[in-house]
Amino acid sequence: MFDRRRRGRRLIRIGALVRHNLGLLVREPGPLVSRIVVPLLLMSLMAPLYRAAMPDGGTAAAVTGVGVTFSLLALSIVGTSILSERTWHTWDRLRATAAHPAELLAGKAVPAVAVLAVQQAALFTYGSWILGLRIAHPALLATAAGAWILALLGLGAAIGTLAPSHGALSAACDLGSVLTTCLGGALVPLAVLPGWARAVAPVSPGYWAVTAMRAALSGEPGTTLRHGAVLVGLGLAAGALACWRISRGWGRSRLL
Amino acid sequence: MIVAEQLVKRYGPVTALDGFDLTVAPGEIVGLIGHNGAGKTTFAEIVAGLVRPDAGRVEVTGTPGLSPQEPALYLPATVRQNLRLFAGLAGLHGRRLRAAVDEIATALRVTGLLDRPVGTLSGGQRRRVQAATAMVQRPAALLLDEPTVGADPASREALLQVVRDRAGDGAAVCYTTHYLPELDDLDATLAVAARGRVIARGPRARLLDGLPGHVAVRFAGPVPAALREQGTVIDGELHIPTTDPAATLGALLRDGHSPTGVDMRKPTLDDLYHVLAVPPAVASPAAASPAGVPHV
Repeated sequence: MFDRRRRGRRLIRIGALVRHNLGLLVREPGPLVSRIVVPLLLMSLMAPLYRAAMPDGGTAAAVTGVGVTFSLLALSIVGTSILSERTWHTWDRLRATAAHPAELLAGKAVPAVAVLAVQQAALFTYGSWILGLRIAHPALLATAAGAWILALLGLGAAIGTLAPSHGALSAACDLGSVLTTCLGGALVPLAVLPGWARAVAPVSPGYWAVTAMRAALSGEPGTTLRHGAVLVGLGLAAGALACWRISRGWGRSRLL
Repeated sequence: MIVAEQLVKRYGPVTALDGFDLTVAPGEIVGLIGHNGAGKTTFAEIVAGLVRPDAGRVEVTGTPGLSPQEPALYLPATVRQNLRLFAGLAGLHGRRLRAAVDEIATALRVTGLLDRPVGTLSGGQRRRVQAATAMVQRPAALLLDEPTVGADPASREALLQVVRDRAGDGAAVCYTTHYLPELDDLDATLAVAARGRVIARGPRARLLDGLPGHVAVRFAGPVPAALREQGTVIDGELHIPTTDPAATLGALLRDGHSPTGVDMRKPTLDDLYHVLAVPPAVASPAAASPAGVPHV
């Protein structure tokens, strides 16, 4: 009885946080819309180019490449939602409530996951319906996309907790995304990159995302799951870093 | 109930709390006063669970409602959304949540602001909203850190009334302010913090007992030379410190002096604050250990 009541209160608190964070996201819909609509346009423009260069798998390269590039740019949505809590000094107020830190993170994560899932779903649905992308194993693709979303969530949270300002966060997200997607073979296929770039490509999260998704599209469970596991590990490590930083707080006392 | 015993907190070489003791009983309002850096905010952060003390013990009934010194609200969200969030985090939902939001909004006179984004409000209005978010869920313990800064008189009175009501309902209230007359309005008992500890604690009357008030007298001409050594001449007025202003004035008149203007002032919280809480570098040696002030 007591446990059920406690669980009920926990759900009420998580619900309040999710509603609130979704409300904040919807209040400024510009970044959300641009990160969903712009990749669709870019994908349409780049697909013919990729098909001409890669007769076998050009559409898959265009969809996954643009998808990964723009989902990395969506890091700033996750990062901003955490950094804003710091600049508004609201994070400590949340910590002072009855909500457990895990509930606070869940309240932040659920809307962010929803946004990233909508983005990924929009990209692959558009790629499949309009550009003729062949998805051999939809469940495998969903698994790869899920692993990628988890990695993005962890990376976004880590950037949001470590960035000292909104300018720094924006610069880190933009620069990091471009470097990661270029090195990872998202924008330019790995095969045409110089040897040194191919050698360092596995350092980039984009590499694991692109390869996991392309493997899922061609129905290769082994590669998808292996590379997906790397993304999950990366997401968990970055998330742990964010949790550690969050647990230290940003109260005024830290400045004494 | 808030119980803090022998709290110690250091930040590198800075000792923020150095054996801080304070108990606030249910239904009691304690006015915590002290100069900047006396440890008030660190104490509030520890009670709120934001900071762990290096030593000591703290016990609080339930989750305290916290209104920190620095405005901490969601600026793009409306006042209603801010209130709903904090009410929801306290476990309220549905009709009870809506009723709690409406009640605190009415009590703190922010009903007309409910659908405005907090970012469009004035500083005083934001403070009121912040206090509302701390009190919306009727917590058993309240930590209010200078909640009335920038508030107009009507808003200040509304806020003080809600604080009194919450205490009347049994909440333990720790109220920090530099605006001391508010503590009279709240009929608060006092705790004076200095150098990381509470150096005086008790009812206002007991703490003020024995503190000097003053008599300020003006004369048609210069202050008579015979009287100058009894006090300080400021702008042609003689200010005489005294614990009994009426008796001091009576003695002056009996001695044949004929002032043209008199101002008598009993000791106030400002005097207590000055005597006890002003840092040693500022306070005079005589003021540093006043006679008759009950220390803890």
